[in-house]
Amino acid sequence: MNRMYSNRVYIAIFLLPALVLFCGVLIAPIGASGYFSLYDWNGLAGKTFIGFDNYKELFTSDSIGFMKALGNSLLLAGLSVFLQLPLALALALALGNRIKGERVFLSVFFMPVLISTVVIGQLWLKIYNPDYGILNVALRAVGLDNLAQIWLGNVSTALPAVFVPILWQYVGYHMLLLYAGVKSVPTELREAAMLDGATNGQVNRYIVLPYIKPIIKISVIFAVTGSLKSFDLIYVLTNGGPLHSTEVPSTLMISMLFLRNRYGMGSTIAVLLILLCFGFALLISVIFKEED
Amino acid sequence: MKKILALILALCTVFMFTACGGSDSEEAASDGDQVTLKLWCIATESDANRPAYLQAIEDYEAAHPNVKIEMEAFENESYKTKIKAAMSGGSAEDLPDMFFTWSGAFLGDFVAADKVACLDDVYKNNYTSEQIPDVMLSTTTYDGKHYAAPTTYNIVAMYANMDLLKEAGWDHIPATYEELTKCCDDLLAKDIIPFGCAGSETWCVTEYLEPIIQKSIGYEDLNKIFAGEGTWNDEDIKKSVDTLQDMIDKGYFDPSGIALGNDEVKANFLAGKTAFYQNGTWNTGEVADADFEAGVALFPLMNADRATANQAIGGPSDVLAVCADSPNADLASEVVVELGKEICHYNYLNAVGLPAWTPDYDTGDVKPLMIEISDIVSKCDGMTLFGDTAMSADPAQIYLDYVAKVYGGEIDGQGFIDGLTKDLQ
Repeated sequence: MNRMYSNRVYIAIFLLPALVLFCGVLIAPIGASGYFSLYDWNGLAGKTFIGFDNYKELFTSDSIGFMKALGNSLLLAGLSVFLQLPLALALALALGNRIKGERVFLSVFFMPVLISTVVIGQLWLKIYNPDYGILNVALRAVGLDNLAQIWLGNVSTALPAVFVPILWQYVGYHMLLLYAGVKSVPTELREAAMLDGATNGQVNRYIVLPYIKPIIKISVIFAVTGSLKSFDLIYVLTNGGPLHSTEVPSTLMISMLFLRNRYGMGSTIAVLLILLCFGFALLISVIFKEED
Repeated sequence: MKKILALILALCTVFMFTACGGSDSEEAASDGDQVTLKLWCIATESDANRPAYLQAIEDYEAAHPNVKIEMEAFENESYKTKIKAAMSGGSAEDLPDMFFTWSGAFLGDFVAADKVACLDDVYKNNYTSEQIPDVMLSTTTYDGKHYAAPTTYNIVAMYANMDLLKEAGWDHIPATYEELTKCCDDLLAKDIIPFGCAGSETWCVTEYLEPIIQKSIGYEDLNKIFAGEGTWNDEDIKKSVDTLQDMIDKGYFDPSGIALGNDEVKANFLAGKTAFYQNGTWNTGEVADADFEAGVALFPLMNADRATANQAIGGPSDVLAVCADSPNADLASEVVVELGKEICHYNYLNAVGLPAWTPDYDTGDVKPLMIEISDIVSKCDGMTLFGDTAMSADPAQIYLDYVAKVYGGEIDGQGFIDGLTKDLQ
């Protein structure tokens, strides 16, 4: 086997399929998007080279509204990091302390991740329905009629109404990641701390959290890049409306590509999304490294 | 063991390479004389057109045993994405032989890219202008050549629940705008919501706004604007937008509508929650079957100086076309025109649309409400194709964005004409 590994021809042959797939599925489309982003093209007829005009227009045009969409994504990323992850961490720490019914709770919290996003979207559409939705019905039942809203149709409430199910759905995902980390903390460490008189909170603060820091970093990267790429639930719930108030870069990209036939502009948004995701992943890594 | 491992890995390598290769087996989809033609359309289970499609295909296959038509239906909005993606990047194997499309600029983009087969020979050899009047092909004619077969013909109509109107003391549909506002006030006094409009589907808002604009500036000027030859900067367009917003402000529209889709708004009307529903005449069958006495009319005249009462928004917007790259393009061209004619036939009988093709069958069973609409159309002295169909994709979407802003109250009439003038002209 060692001889086989040392043979470069073998290595090249066996790496080639993965390399071809990697280049074909990931690198080539990114390259193609970068290429098309330099053109004015409706996806059908001839292309016109316009250099970086699409990039300029993207950041300056009011009718496209990219900055608003990007702002929404960054807000979602902030909520994910500062609301969703702490909640997931709290659940992971609680479940990691061998509480009664640990497995049941684990399954229940993880269940939304397993359900199809479209199903979740439909579920929340019903919850938010202005006439028979459980949210408005509950508010009216307790005499808070004035708080009943057209949640997804009102510009001021649509964005938070969309964020709630997105954050709710993936709490379980991050909880599972962190729970695996919590469970990997050696029992000896916990016991040693306990023998020294540490409380549960102190054990979590000084033993568990530093131990699972690499997993927290991964969770933060997933939460931020996931927020920047968020699409499916927003598409189902509002499709970016009303009046583009829930638009994010991904829904804007779909709109440019398939509604406005602006393939060049759609490719530009795709390129920027890739750059933003890479940029934030690197930034988060640097921040965590500096803290170390 | 090492040899077996190496062999398995080598086989995986070969498999991965071969898996990336194309397959020729599906190319022609033919088996001897038997030819299979793929048809993409939006006639899903919930679509009112579906029975007509199925019946027309069944009839065609019975009359032509060597032809099999495989119909695949997609939801309306997702279909727009699918057909554009397939046309822009797809090879012949990815594309159907025949496809549903909207006429006007939507099809025009495909024609300009040489993606659609010309049907001139089929029309010239097999059909007369008595069977299919030239005007019905006008929205699919580019540079004098015909590229599609209409499956129906529809206008925007104002359906009314006459039972609710009677509750409010009205035995007829209001014929003037003053009457309409009086009627709406009377309905509100009886706690009946006059109109419903789906805010989450902006095309539904255009079904209200476009008739008001047309009845204010006339069909000719509106046609010019949609064609990019006229100006949005028109005082009467501003007034039209303000009129719609005035109706919204007075509570004539169900406030929940802003978050609802068209199916929900239509269901509310059919369930007797709203008194009026203004939408395409493809809804006629469902309205006629509702548990109330239904009436139909056009939106009333707003400005007699520039328009007339007998003008309508609509036209033959639903059509079938043939992919130019289809290996069976000639056969598909013949099939698609015949299918269009027969779908049109069954759609008329099912009260799903008006006949773009001159009926050569017994029309005795056509629903009375559909006949009422036929009468309205026969008196029409001008038509404007739906704005989002008449305009090409980018300006159409900008236009729809402004319409959504109007319905959401973000801009008024002045903002509407200023914005569109700036962004589209």
